[in-house]
Amino acid sequence: MPFRILQCVAVFCLGSTFFPSTLSATSSDLLFSQIQPLAASSLILDIANVGNGLVAVGERGHVLVYDGSWQQVATPVSSQLTKVFFINQKLGWAVGHDATILHTQDGGQTWQLQMHSPEIEKPFLDVMFLSENNGIAVGAYGLFYRTSDGGAHWNDEFHEELLAEEDVSYLAELKDSDPSAYLSARTSLLPHFNRVLTLTDGRLLLVGELGLVAVSSDQGKTFARTSFAYDGSMFNAIETQDTVYVMGLRGHVFKADVSLNQWTEIALPVQSSINGVMSAADDTLYLVGNAGIVIKLNKDDSSSIVTRRQGENLVSIAKDKQGDIWLSGSQGLFILKP
Amino acid sequence: MLEKLVNGFESFLFRNRAWVVGIFIFLTLFLGYQASQLKMDAAFIKNIPLHHSYMQTYLKHQKDFGGANSIMVAVEDTSGNIFNANYFDTLKNVHDQLFFIPGVDRAQVKSVFSPSTRFTEVVEDGFAGGPVIPADFSTSVEGLETVRDNIEKAGIVGRLIANDYSAAMVSAQLMDFDPQTGKPLDTIAFAAQLEKELRGKFETDKVKIHIIGFAKMAGDVADGAKGVLLFFVIAILITAVMVYLFSKSLILTILPLVCSLTAVVWQLGLLTVIGFGLDPMSILVPFLVFAIGVSHGVQIINAVRHRVIDGQTTRAAAASAFRSLLVPGGVALLSDTVGFITLLSIDIGIIRELAISASLGVGVIIFTNLILLPLVISFTEIKVNKHAVPTTEEVRSDAIWRFLARFATPKYAVVVIIATVVLYFIGLQQANKMKIGDLQGGAPALHQDSRYNLDTFFITDHFSITTDVMTVIVEAAPEACTYHDVLTQIDEFEWLVRNAPGVESTVSLASVAKKVNAGFNEGNPRWEVLPRTTASLVQAIGQIPTTSGLLNSDCSVMPVYLFMKDHKAETIETVVAKVKTVAAKMDNDKLQFKLASGPVGVMAATNEAVAQAQLPMMLYVYGAVFVLCLISFKSFKATVAVIIPLYVVSTLAQALMTQLDIGLAVSTLPVIALGVGIGVDYGIYILSTMSPKLSEGMPVQQAYYEALVERGSAVIFTGLTLAIGVSTWFFSALKFQMDMGILLTFMFVVNMLGAIIILPALSAVFWRQPK
Repeated sequence: MPFRILQCVAVFCLGSTFFPSTLSATSSDLLFSQIQPLAASSLILDIANVGNGLVAVGERGHVLVYDGSWQQVATPVSSQLTKVFFINQKLGWAVGHDATILHTQDGGQTWQLQMHSPEIEKPFLDVMFLSENNGIAVGAYGLFYRTSDGGAHWNDEFHEELLAEEDVSYLAELKDSDPSAYLSARTSLLPHFNRVLTLTDGRLLLVGELGLVAVSSDQGKTFARTSFAYDGSMFNAIETQDTVYVMGLRGHVFKADVSLNQWTEIALPVQSSINGVMSAADDTLYLVGNAGIVIKLNKDDSSSIVTRRQGENLVSIAKDKQGDIWLSGSQGLFILKP
Repeated sequence: MLEKLVNGFESFLFRNRAWVVGIFIFLTLFLGYQASQLKMDAAFIKNIPLHHSYMQTYLKHQKDFGGANSIMVAVEDTSGNIFNANYFDTLKNVHDQLFFIPGVDRAQVKSVFSPSTRFTEVVEDGFAGGPVIPADFSTSVEGLETVRDNIEKAGIVGRLIANDYSAAMVSAQLMDFDPQTGKPLDTIAFAAQLEKELRGKFETDKVKIHIIGFAKMAGDVADGAKGVLLFFVIAILITAVMVYLFSKSLILTILPLVCSLTAVVWQLGLLTVIGFGLDPMSILVPFLVFAIGVSHGVQIINAVRHRVIDGQTTRAAAASAFRSLLVPGGVALLSDTVGFITLLSIDIGIIRELAISASLGVGVIIFTNLILLPLVISFTEIKVNKHAVPTTEEVRSDAIWRFLARFATPKYAVVVIIATVVLYFIGLQQANKMKIGDLQGGAPALHQDSRYNLDTFFITDHFSITTDVMTVIVEAAPEACTYHDVLTQIDEFEWLVRNAPGVESTVSLASVAKKVNAGFNEGNPRWEVLPRTTASLVQAIGQIPTTSGLLNSDCSVMPVYLFMKDHKAETIETVVAKVKTVAAKMDNDKLQFKLASGPVGVMAATNEAVAQAQLPMMLYVYGAVFVLCLISFKSFKATVAVIIPLYVVSTLAQALMTQLDIGLAVSTLPVIALGVGIGVDYGIYILSTMSPKLSEGMPVQQAYYEALVERGSAVIFTGLTLAIGVSTWFFSALKFQMDMGILLTFMFVVNMLGAIIILPALSAVFWRQPK
């Protein structure tokens, strides 16, 4: 069938000239996030409210902006982004693996790289700004960077005061005997800093691995551990009118009044780790976590399971201006059905 | 020269006719015994294009990762909830039973009961875990509650447990060889065993067993193919009635049928002699052989009858019929044979088998119907009514011939040719839209409402997995998985391909390693990354056993599994194109992404092989027909006049495929070649009568009229007989047989019409009378 030959040949030629142009990226493009149709259903790790919209970040350097629908925007990294923070409608920062810090000045539409240091082999796990210029990014193994110029320069700090007692003396010994071992030990002895939060009275609350719950009265220059007795990891924290909650591994949630002296545990009906939290009306909290759980925690410590999504982990929760509650996690972004 | 040869052959055969018939009887007895030993035979390996590059990849890694030949048994609790003692007892029995069926790769039997099905959970001081079914498992309420918890922790919902907890899966890989006998696995016997040992033993009101996989499908196809015997009997009866109406003589009805059946016996017997079985896909061949045999037999009895009417003795008439038909009949049958032999060019085992068995069958017709039939007739005494006055029927058919002969006049010829051209271009437009591959979900060989396809739909509806899996094999250096950049590229590849339309989900070593890494970091999703530290990466990879199918023992090969929406040709093409582009971009000397394994990988290769085979096959079959016509007619014009109608009809057949949503697949690809091979017979019979008359200078219309009087009724009759024979397949339990039946019926009837309408019109143009 000669006509079919022509057709086959035509398709083949079209094919071979067409494909390279649709995907002209080379392997160096792995450094950049790729705009892909399924980005909104990839692993999304944080959602932030920005003006009337939302901005979400996740794996592969994905950033999505919500304004009635989710649109993926380009970023200069393909590293996993763990957190995003906006100080106002325009200025925001996203942090993540490979010690990445991204910055936006237009509410999340375009992003510039402020820091990207894969060689550190540590992720940032949270970022927080006290003002347009002063910010802190924290992460694994006590990773702690500070900026005082809006992120143009980031400087690391070592929070020795959060070391365990035996580690302090061990490091002191090492510092004299083996300076290089001292430097490498310093990079792995501190616990992960999972979340840093400004309290209404201006103090900073830092929660993390191995029961780390510390507070700082000097904008994070020094921290002091609170009398927190559980030694599992805390992943998140939130402050309501008169109460501070911290939450983390295997459904452990604790609360304290603003003095942060006395922590009481709240019993939850699940044993899944709590990753994300949002406060709703009447200081009710929504907790989201692994095994797809969404829990409503009332002021009187009673709680109920709102939903349980099989086979996925939920990480973050946020409410948009229309009042829809958005969840994010291993299956991406979706609305919590009431 | 040729004539002398034929005459010499004739006088030799007819002088020793008793001996010759004796030899035929002896051969028939011998081959009949052989035919009775014929076995049904369906092997997976025969269905795949072994030399296609995808299949080379598939075969290379089959040992490490199992192949595409898997079997899935979904055990459903009709109450909708599997957590009861009776259900778990049954499930365990099904698992154990499947494990012990010979041919099952025991290392690869998977269900909640296999020891490799484990759960892990994060606790304060690290991991805790164990088998999903604990060692002290009991079907008590507490025991089942524990299993339920473990199932959730193990993350096997959707794979080994239905999403709605209404069923559980037991899956296995099959070996190509039976380990006990060392012989190739008898797929059909295996399927029968599944039916008996699993469904027969364990299906009750409360528990339903759904079985899918190639072996089961082949078994069901073989069962369906057995129904073919009934169609065969029906076809013989219809044909007998038709032949009787045509010949008005009991003896002339029985003899061609007997000779045609002899051809079938020879064909089946020869298959055994050369060591073949009968594949369900080739079950149509005996039909074709019978139908083609009858059509040539009818030419013989038609010729004998004409000569007896003319006053010859039966013996002289038989000898003369033999002389005049051996060459055109032989050429026609040789064209058929060559048509089938061209199918050998296709690199798919069952099509080659079809080619061999069909060409054998058609080849033997030369002996049984062109030689044996006139010899046997010569022993009989044919009586025909020798009234000088033509019967009403003869008058009627004469009117038909006169009407048809008008197509050979220039006026009508122009109309016919214009109509043909228009029809051709309309057909061509449709034919170009013909799809490659399977257009429906489920198993395309079977009807949508067959048990097998209902089982398939149950499994795809209730589980997140399907058999529609394509595997891209990543080849790298040994220990490659300990390098962050290697896994990052695999992860990137997986993600990009995941975004192709038609891909529902994916899994690879990279994506699993990320989850394991999160597990090592307290299950925190923010650690779902490939760690840059080699120690952490190795720690994560170390948790993934080779039995997962995600890596081989030295992790130089790491497949990426693509779970697809369905296996329609378009879906496969889209995904394959995406894989190729991404792979072309990412391949480097350290790492190659190679297509393909898994059932859909095989389909992709088959579709490509079929698509590639189509053109050469058509060129060969037309080339062969062209050469044979040229030899027998010694006329270029005559050859073209025969081939053009054939070509138009094949185009129209392709248009019909588009219209009826029949894809070009392993089962339908041969039809076009068969159709051309058989369709050429009509033209050859008509033109072989016309050709000498035309060269004597007889006007076309007159030559065509005379050809019709001599052979027209036989040609029309043949077309109808063949068509009726294959049209019974329309009621077959097998979808592919129905498709083939529709297409062959179309090709037989329309080729016949082409030979009596288009051919004379073309002749009128080619042999125009000088005015």
